[in-house]
Amino acid sequence: MKILIVEDESRIAKRIERMTRDILGYALQSLTHINTLNEALAFIENNSLDLVLLDLNLNGEDGFDLLTTAVSESFHTIVISAYKDQAIAAFEYGVLDFVPKPFNRDRLEQAFNRAIAKEKTGNDQLKVLAIKKRSRIQLIPIENLLYVKGAGAYTELFLADGKKELHDKSLEKLEQLLSHSFERIHKSYLVKMSEIREIIVASGSKYMAELKNGVSIPVGRTKYKDLKEKWV
Amino acid sequence: MDRRSSSCFLFLCVILLATSCTQEPAIFKEYRTVFKVGDQPTWAKKVWNHSNWERRIKLIPEGQIFWSRTRIDILRAPEEFQSYVLQIDPYGEYEIFWDGVLIGKNGNPGQEAELPPEGELWVTYSIPTHLATEGAHMLALRLSNYYFPDHVGQYELEIADYEDLFTDQLIKTSYMHVFAGAFLIISIYFLFLFLNNRKEYPTLIFSACCFLIVGLVLTVFSKDYVPIHYSVHVIRLQIINSFLLGISFLIPYYFSIQFPYPRRGLSLILYAVVLIFIWLINEHAFDWKTVGMVLSMWCFSFGMVSYGAYKNVRGARLVLVTLLLSVVVFLASGFVVSLYTGLGLILLGMLYLLTLNIKEQRLAYENSLIQSTRLRLELLKKNIQPHFLMNTLTSLIDWVEEAPKKGALFIEALAKEFDLFNQIEDQTLIPIAQEIALCRSHLEIMEYRKEIAYSWEEEGIDPEEKIPPAILHTLLENGITHSMHMADNSIKFKLVFESNSQYKCYTFLTFAARTGHETNTKEEGTGLKYIKARLTESYHSKWDLTSEPTDHGWKNTLKIYS
Repeated sequence: MKILIVEDESRIAKRIERMTRDILGYALQSLTHINTLNEALAFIENNSLDLVLLDLNLNGEDGFDLLTTAVSESFHTIVISAYKDQAIAAFEYGVLDFVPKPFNRDRLEQAFNRAIAKEKTGNDQLKVLAIKKRSRIQLIPIENLLYVKGAGAYTELFLADGKKELHDKSLEKLEQLLSHSFERIHKSYLVKMSEIREIIVASGSKYMAELKNGVSIPVGRTKYKDLKEKWV
Repeated sequence: MDRRSSSCFLFLCVILLATSCTQEPAIFKEYRTVFKVGDQPTWAKKVWNHSNWERRIKLIPEGQIFWSRTRIDILRAPEEFQSYVLQIDPYGEYEIFWDGVLIGKNGNPGQEAELPPEGELWVTYSIPTHLATEGAHMLALRLSNYYFPDHVGQYELEIADYEDLFTDQLIKTSYMHVFAGAFLIISIYFLFLFLNNRKEYPTLIFSACCFLIVGLVLTVFSKDYVPIHYSVHVIRLQIINSFLLGISFLIPYYFSIQFPYPRRGLSLILYAVVLIFIWLINEHAFDWKTVGMVLSMWCFSFGMVSYGAYKNVRGARLVLVTLLLSVVVFLASGFVVSLYTGLGLILLGMLYLLTLNIKEQRLAYENSLIQSTRLRLELLKKNIQPHFLMNTLTSLIDWVEEAPKKGALFIEALAKEFDLFNQIEDQTLIPIAQEIALCRSHLEIMEYRKEIAYSWEEEGIDPEEKIPPAILHTLLENGITHSMHMADNSIKFKLVFESNSQYKCYTFLTFAARTGHETNTKEEGTGLKYIKARLTESYHSKWDLTSEPTDHGWKNTLKIYS
């Protein structure tokens, strides 16, 4: 795992570093500590990462700029902050976890487990998905999102207005974030449950889910039973 | 405002009503008075040919005896049990004859040089009922005018029913004394207000104006009960004019404070020169002086208040209305009535302005209370705001887990900072030594947190000096937040104090690496706002704070002017 710590308090950064090494052991490939916002942005741009541990208040600067950039990337973001009142906003933007300061090893391990074990967070506070446009970050409200299609390392977001957007996060990672209202109905598809109008059994015992806007999406053979139970 | 204008109007009505009551149809007609130097008892006679007498005599030196004769026609004889009186105020001591009958004696005519002054200026004589018949009569005076030989025989004469004359004077005098009493109380009240707040000069000026008006009214209207010999009458007139001079200067001066305008000092000096010119010129033309001073006062006041109204100063419009009302009163009732009514109106206007001031002061005071409470809370919040507290606690936990002995020292440093905050929490000014101790303990904490070698230096500190709490602490916090450590992992802070006769100056230097980007203004904003509010609380506008980047880091300069 390649991890970046963004934290301006030296002692706290060292604590996070030490615990991370301890928790992840050999699974840790690289660990970097950066204490300014600009350096962090540059590092994110130029390196591939699996996880970012982010403090929202760096040298008196607002970390939300960094947050929107981070959540649009392919990696997961965990916020470690003194401001508990920022937790809701952070979840709305799609962070995997929010660790309030002061924290201990157990709490940090719990956060790592979410990332490693691909545990579904089921956070129903998620309001937007941040996607990278050419030179800026665009925020897409979750209510506009109908379904997500995996496309290799990327995903395609299909929106209510018929548009299609690309997201850098993998389908697995988005599934983690979106699990409260979306269901993985196929190895390549994540669909909002409330959008499914009908489940059709097609010829050759293929299963299809028909959405309210008329689009049909294949349902995985193994997922069908599961889906049937949830979709009543 | 409505209530106030209506009370002005009411006041006006009362005065108008009081004056209109005194109007009555004439009961006599006065002919031209003639004079002759000399002394003959027969000149007292009702019938005497005085066609060769003088209409005017300029000078009768050495208190010589002279006579005056005035024909008077009684137009309406007194009714049964009614009696007529004659009121007269000539300069001089005299005997008075009505149709040849001696009806009174005022002093010792012809013997003034030898005898002490005797008699009064305003005297009332009753006309014998049998001589008060309808038709022609003769008033003859045997006078001497030792003290003002060039003021011969110009006097006012009044014949009226005894009851009416007495009642009218009583009413007029009592009204004016009530008027004076009211202003006396106001004057004392505002004098006390001023004594309790020596900076509020408008209250003092207002109090002085009221007091001068009390003096003016008492001097003018005490003549009916205070006996005055004609020789001292000029002194009375001089006193009256001096009061008017004071009033005429103070009222526009007051308005100039309330409605400031450019070149105020110069215009006031000019105005004072005009007033003194009027006051000094033509020694005995007291009526002319009075009119001149009052007119100048009105014109200057009008100019200032109009300017205030034009500039939309609060209260100026209402005062302008009172000034215009006094003109209305003047047009309706003449000079004497409008003088007192007008002065009363103008003073009410001034009083209104003062109440506006007092209201503003009260609001400002309430605001300052709220402000200092807010600042106190802000100070308290510094130590419990999550960024400080949670980060400190996180570091602390780490130290305790990893190096318990250092952790203990960290806790001690933290305890010290909390203790210092508790000591200064409810104060507006603290000794600089205490503030420095606070900064040092904060650096100690931050050293544990950031693991940067912070150092503190000071130069020229006077431990007796005082400073609002947590000012330097806030600058220090900003310095820590917004700077990067230098190559040797250190940041140095230095406080330099200088003072001279004009100001005291604290220079707070940060020696650190530049962060390479502009610092976030929002965070710095709250810190700076706190500093500015604290400085304003203690030094009002007499301070100056500048911040600028330098080659070695950052420089804050705080100047406190004496």
